[in-house]
Amino acid sequence: MMRPYVQRSLCLVAAMAMTFASLVQADESESSARQSAARAILASESEQAMIVQDMAANPSPILGPIFEAWQRSQVYIYEAPDGARIPFMLMPDGSGSKAVRIDNGEPLVGPNGAPVVVDEATMKPVETFAKLRRAMRSTMDLLALADPAPATRQSAILKLGMKQSPEALPILNARLAREQDKAVKNGILDAIAIINLASPDPKMQIDALNQLKKSNSVPSRELVAKMAADEKLSPKVRAAAASTLKAIDNHLFWVDFFGTMFRGVSLGSVLLVVALGLAITFGLMGVINMAHGEIMVVGGYATYLVQCIFGTGVALAPFGISVNIPGFGFDSNSGIYQSYFLFALPVAFFSAAAVGVLLERGVIQFLYRRPLESLLATWGVSLVMQQLFRLIFGPANAPVYSPAWLLGSFSVGDVIMNYNRVFVIIFAVAIVVGTSLLLAKTPVGLLIRAVMQDRTTAACMGVRTRKVNTLTFAFGSGLAGLAGAFLSQIGNIGPSTGQTYIVDSFMVVVVGGVGNLIGTVISALGIGTLDQILQTGLRNPVIGKVLVLVGIILFLQWKPSGLFATKGRGLEN
Amino acid sequence: MKLSQTLQAMAVGASLLVGTMAPVRAAEDTVKVGVLHSLSGTMAISETSLRDVLLFAFDEINAKGGVLGKKIEPVVVDGASNWPLFAEKAKQLLEVDKVAVVFGCWTSVSRKSVLPVFEKNNGLLFYPVQYEGEELSKNIFYTAEAVNQQAIPAVDYLLADGRKKFYLIGTDYVYPQTTNLVLLEYLLSKGVPIENIGGGLRKDEAGKVISAGKYTPFGHTDYQQIVAEIKQFAATGDACVINTINGDSNVPFFKEFAASGLTAADCPVVSMSLSEDELRSLPTKDLVGHLGCWAYFMSIDSKENAAFKKNFFDWLKTAKVQGIERTNRVTCSPMVLSYDGVYLWKAAVEKAGSFDVDKVREVLESGKITFDGPNGLNTVEKNHHTKKNTYIGETKADGQFKIVEEFKQVYPEPFLKGTFVKE
Repeated sequence: MMRPYVQRSLCLVAAMAMTFASLVQADESESSARQSAARAILASESEQAMIVQDMAANPSPILGPIFEAWQRSQVYIYEAPDGARIPFMLMPDGSGSKAVRIDNGEPLVGPNGAPVVVDEATMKPVETFAKLRRAMRSTMDLLALADPAPATRQSAILKLGMKQSPEALPILNARLAREQDKAVKNGILDAIAIINLASPDPKMQIDALNQLKKSNSVPSRELVAKMAADEKLSPKVRAAAASTLKAIDNHLFWVDFFGTMFRGVSLGSVLLVVALGLAITFGLMGVINMAHGEIMVVGGYATYLVQCIFGTGVALAPFGISVNIPGFGFDSNSGIYQSYFLFALPVAFFSAAAVGVLLERGVIQFLYRRPLESLLATWGVSLVMQQLFRLIFGPANAPVYSPAWLLGSFSVGDVIMNYNRVFVIIFAVAIVVGTSLLLAKTPVGLLIRAVMQDRTTAACMGVRTRKVNTLTFAFGSGLAGLAGAFLSQIGNIGPSTGQTYIVDSFMVVVVGGVGNLIGTVISALGIGTLDQILQTGLRNPVIGKVLVLVGIILFLQWKPSGLFATKGRGLEN
Repeated sequence: MKLSQTLQAMAVGASLLVGTMAPVRAAEDTVKVGVLHSLSGTMAISETSLRDVLLFAFDEINAKGGVLGKKIEPVVVDGASNWPLFAEKAKQLLEVDKVAVVFGCWTSVSRKSVLPVFEKNNGLLFYPVQYEGEELSKNIFYTAEAVNQQAIPAVDYLLADGRKKFYLIGTDYVYPQTTNLVLLEYLLSKGVPIENIGGGLRKDEAGKVISAGKYTPFGHTDYQQIVAEIKQFAATGDACVINTINGDSNVPFFKEFAASGLTAADCPVVSMSLSEDELRSLPTKDLVGHLGCWAYFMSIDSKENAAFKKNFFDWLKTAKVQGIERTNRVTCSPMVLSYDGVYLWKAAVEKAGSFDVDKVREVLESGKITFDGPNGLNTVEKNHHTKKNTYIGETKADGQFKIVEEFKQVYPEPFLKGTFVKE
């Protein structure tokens, strides 16, 4: 078990010693690296790993893309008519992919001088296996130190530091001299300090500990904790380690605190987005709409369809009839494909609103002022809709991809904020502001408020209350559709997804006080934050959720009409 | 009370009618075989595929003359993801339909529910889905992966890959909890210190560890806190996640994981319950590079597998099963292990020269019954489990697995808890 590790680390040391030199004179080593890569690809499985391991001693940057293509199964062997076997890889091109010879980087040409066209579907790639990939990784880790992307550089530097081998110091120092990015520079200083923790010199150790204390380095925490508890170290070093540990733990406390707050607000925003539609239909209109969750799912499926139409289309089989919806066929990495979500938002809004109109005209208009009947009828509608989804889209969930600009995260002082979570917060603010402006500042809003406050008087004043009802219900449903579009980015969209959220949304609206938008906002954020605090505090999501529910029940005992009780055509009339 | 009694009587009467009417048509040249899966309810998504592959296997065998000269006559019942109903349906299969063998069950709880019924009636059940072990019934044969044929090889692979920290996460029920307890012992025995095992330990009053890892309820959707915890845990760059989350919850988990910037290179996730069939409804682009570990992958490059896939997909096109999904189908490990089970039973029956459960069991226990299936060679061992290959695969963007490691002919060990304890 030990031997391969020793061998590998020896190899790594040799490689590290040479990396810096080889990175300077890249051109000369490039062609020899290409030659050995080609040799490795053609070699028998038993020799491949050995050749690749040897290459780590001379890691030319060209090996990065070659190894990557190899691991992605994009390396093939061309059998020339004269019997020669030429390894080549597929490089992405403007109009597809082109074949490039690995041994010299030239395009692959056939005997007649024309470029060889390969059909990826029928060619068999040169496979890799675990041992070979590990051999490749030591080379790729070293190459990553000079990667153009700062984040890649930083993680490679950290990895190198965590190995705690002093041989890496010259490489890190050399990189430090050339590094421009401030964050990466700090990362290098930390990595050097982490390596120096293992130094036998107490002074070096204390300096290292001070550096780590200054930067609140989270990755080094375990090493520092070990030092603080190590009886064999001098008291001075142990004291320094203890103080660094305290600083890191203190830092972690605040990271957890702000992280939890952020996650609470983001969960609250999800709840808010989900509940806002209901705040209109249940809160303002007093309609208990059990199909609210399914209307949300309409928005989710609309997003899925828009995504498919931007891609290669989709084949559906509703009621056994096969329907092929063709797509534009945009490349899935292109900006235009990534922007599908922006187009999906209005589609989700209007398709859900349309379903809302159907529901209001078909069922609910007969049931105003009869909350229990509306509950039963809409529950039936919700079951019918679930079965319709199942028939149209199948029983499995629809796979919705997040666009690249919603993936990823940034961090502020180690507090990680995901783009999609930041987006939901902005999204929630936008629709709350939009909704309240619509209600407060527009003529339509005035009509809605008039009808909701006193239908008869409004009708006497010439307001066409039936139309206003339909419009209000459609607007609430449209908001649910927006929620569905957003949910597709963080969770499932399937026939029964709506069920998961219906309880949450009623909970938020009831706690907030029926008929009050501000109440909905406060209750959503409150419930979200409480949930996240309990989850962190108890380190158990199950008990956390249970306690939130218990809390809500107790709260409603104390304030039965929610945070802000308002008089309106709510349930009590 | 009266009404329910009447209903009960009617139900018994109806099932007797069905039971007595069928043999009129069946005559002497058929043998009845039970299929016991959830065709409705939450498990239907996964289990319907197993019914399909079983019916395919029966048709394949019937086309070649059946078993001992008798055609297989399937009796398909629906457990409806309802565990007491599973027991009732098992009872019906054994007592009313008098089937020679039953293929079925997915969740451990459904298997535990039918187990007493099979023992009481001396029935025979073939169980095809990876499970936590700690069970051995003389009436059940487990073609499934035991923990040492799935989770342990996965951990071995990650250890060899240089991973030093392991975060355990799962859905809150018996399979993840037991598997993670076994893994905890195994990791400790491999010299991984307890502080390098993430997710937390829960102990009872006596200080005995009753669970390791983090658990979420079925259908959980908010993985923010847990992923933040994993991100901190993985800051040292040598961590990985062992995922026993079941079903739908994998979608929000992987979406959150991808969104927080964690990649398969920083912190690979090896999932125990995601096969090709489940990947059909997951956003696979978010899963590229993460690992799976099964006794079979659809991408296995062998003659047997190619033939199996072709025949199955051809059969789907013309199969006379109501509501069967005919397009965009895949094959996966539980499906192939179901299929293997049918052929192992057939081989045993033919060797015993009888459908009698005791005789068939004796032959199966001899350790000589083998079947060269799409996943390679399967051998039934004395302990009712099968020796077979284990593969580790990396998820690709198209929802298939690229095989990165193969463990040949792993001997099944269902009883692992307590075997790795290092004092």
